[in-house]
Amino acid sequence: MKTQLTRLALASTISIMAASAHADTQIGVSMTSFDNPFLTILLNGMKEEAANHDDLELLLEDAQLDVPRQFNQVENFIANGVDAIIVNPVDGAASPRMTQAAVDAGIPIIYANHPPAEHANMPEGSSFVGSNEIESGTMQTEAVCEMLDGTGNILVLVGALENESAIVRTRDIEEVIAKEPCTGMKIVDKQVGNWNRTQGADITANWLTTGMEFDAIIANNDEMAIGAIMSLKAAGTDMDKIVVAGIDATPDGLAALQAGDLDVTVYQNATRQGIESVKAALDMASGKEVPGNIWVPFEPVTLENISDFQ
Amino acid sequence: MTTTDLNAAQTPRKNRRMPAEVNILLVLVGIALLFEVLGWIFQGQSFLGNMARLKIMILQVSVIGIIAVGVTQTIITGGIDLSSGSLVGAVAMVSMSFAQTGAYGLDRVLYPGLTDLPVIVPIAIGLLVGLAAGFVNGWLIAYTKIPPFIATLGMMVAARGFAKWYTKGAPISFPTESFAFIGSGMMPVVIFLLVAVIFHILMKYTRYGKFTYAIGANEIAARVSGINVERQKVRIYMVAGLLSGLAAIVVAARGQTAQAGMGLMYELDAIAMAVIGGTSLTGGRGSILGTAIGMVIFGVIISGFTFLRLDAYYQEMMKGGIIVAAVIVDTYRQKKGRKSK
Repeated sequence: MKTQLTRLALASTISIMAASAHADTQIGVSMTSFDNPFLTILLNGMKEEAANHDDLELLLEDAQLDVPRQFNQVENFIANGVDAIIVNPVDGAASPRMTQAAVDAGIPIIYANHPPAEHANMPEGSSFVGSNEIESGTMQTEAVCEMLDGTGNILVLVGALENESAIVRTRDIEEVIAKEPCTGMKIVDKQVGNWNRTQGADITANWLTTGMEFDAIIANNDEMAIGAIMSLKAAGTDMDKIVVAGIDATPDGLAALQAGDLDVTVYQNATRQGIESVKAALDMASGKEVPGNIWVPFEPVTLENISDFQ
Repeated sequence: MTTTDLNAAQTPRKNRRMPAEVNILLVLVGIALLFEVLGWIFQGQSFLGNMARLKIMILQVSVIGIIAVGVTQTIITGGIDLSSGSLVGAVAMVSMSFAQTGAYGLDRVLYPGLTDLPVIVPIAIGLLVGLAAGFVNGWLIAYTKIPPFIATLGMMVAARGFAKWYTKGAPISFPTESFAFIGSGMMPVVIFLLVAVIFHILMKYTRYGKFTYAIGANEIAARVSGINVERQKVRIYMVAGLLSGLAAIVVAARGQTAQAGMGLMYELDAIAMAVIGGTSLTGGRGSILGTAIGMVIFGVIISGFTFLRLDAYYQEMMKGGIIVAAVIVDTYRQKKGRKSK
């Protein structure tokens, strides 16, 4: 009975493997996580482009936010002889090992969305497709600065600290308000909301209880900004008097913008990043030259231009 | 029935259990007073003398509190439930997919044919999914005899996988107003209180509770005295699953969104609340009241840290320290209490 079961399992595994070995070109994709709404849009972009090529297959893996697991997945891709590898890195600092392994095996490797450690100097056979993170926080804060005429108290909702974009986006805010014409702006408090709507709401509710005076809440992403809006509204705050800013322009974020609750968000074109990653992978697999960094620009979204993004 | 025998057997334990709650209440008062003093020193204002803050303290932990009520019961039987956090993710996704409104455009809806359903539909479906997952947990534990840690670990991994698979990672938002109402204002607290009162009564005054304590204190003795241990275990894990499902509905309604990553690590916070509240991981001892106090301690700590504007780095380190310290104080005081008797 037991051996029969084992045999059955083995047979089905082999047949699945055989079935997936049909396509001429295979691209191994290791995503940071399958349950992140934003990264899902990135992955859908990759799938969209892949659907344009008949004999192309994407082999998908979920690294579940784990650096060693992602490295194992990349090594497996190399061992299976895929034509190219796309990595959406869990941690930028952990990328050199993966780059080295792929380059040594002569397999092109493309990093998507999150910059690898070596992004300023990508070795031959590797590339990075993403948006320049410095733009997002800067665009966001400049928009807030304009709405507040350069003066006011701001509260900051920070993403997860183990994530580089949280640190960069927060630093962008500090840099913008250190320069004219925004020097009248002051950060009253920063708290970590881990990109999470509920935590953004709880932190904001706690802030409101301290009686702090503030004119704007700048969140590192839309989810936390929406959480902040929920608490502000629950406390009966006049939403016209408080500026709330997010990043990502998610569907929920755009809905909040349209409702007049969110004042600005920044669109990171994840779909385009996904498309460009697959294109770069195909180009490199067929021996074409590809630049070390492929930039997909950020775009600020306010009520004035929201229709372009829906 | 042997209810009277069980009652007699339980009396000495009951005496010890009462002070356990008093102890933990003292810990709570101590922590709250500490923040009060620090508040006057560093912020120049009262920590506790603020109605809005007292509300948010409870509100922000009541969802995990709902889970903790179920988890407490599994721990009292000598088991554990690691699946609750993942079940929150899974149930939130399923429930929300039947709670969407078409008002923002049908392209934002998962099942365009099933929008604006009466609120009872997503609630019933959500609770059923939770109940079913709990049944699987309980059945595996009671009848295949695998350790609860493993059975619920399996469910934890599988349910998270299911949550991600359900929409391939995309979030589900835009619920109907009646669904969002479940999570609005102080509703999560009201729901928690209802759940806590119901299970406080069940655990304290009915056979359901007596069987649960009896199994945790001595499973063989419980069996010998005629308790259907298997059936009771299945019931307990179904209750835990049901409460995880309820928590999922509340958290999804509160955020007006469901995401596959929701409820991450909730199971550990819930277990910590139960243990801080005096529930013994070896089984047989604990109470819903204790867990409720444990929950409030969590709320006070979270609010207190934001109040003092403490950096996140220190917050997590101190939260870990406080959890361990609270249990040490409790254990120490109990030992002393036992010796003096």
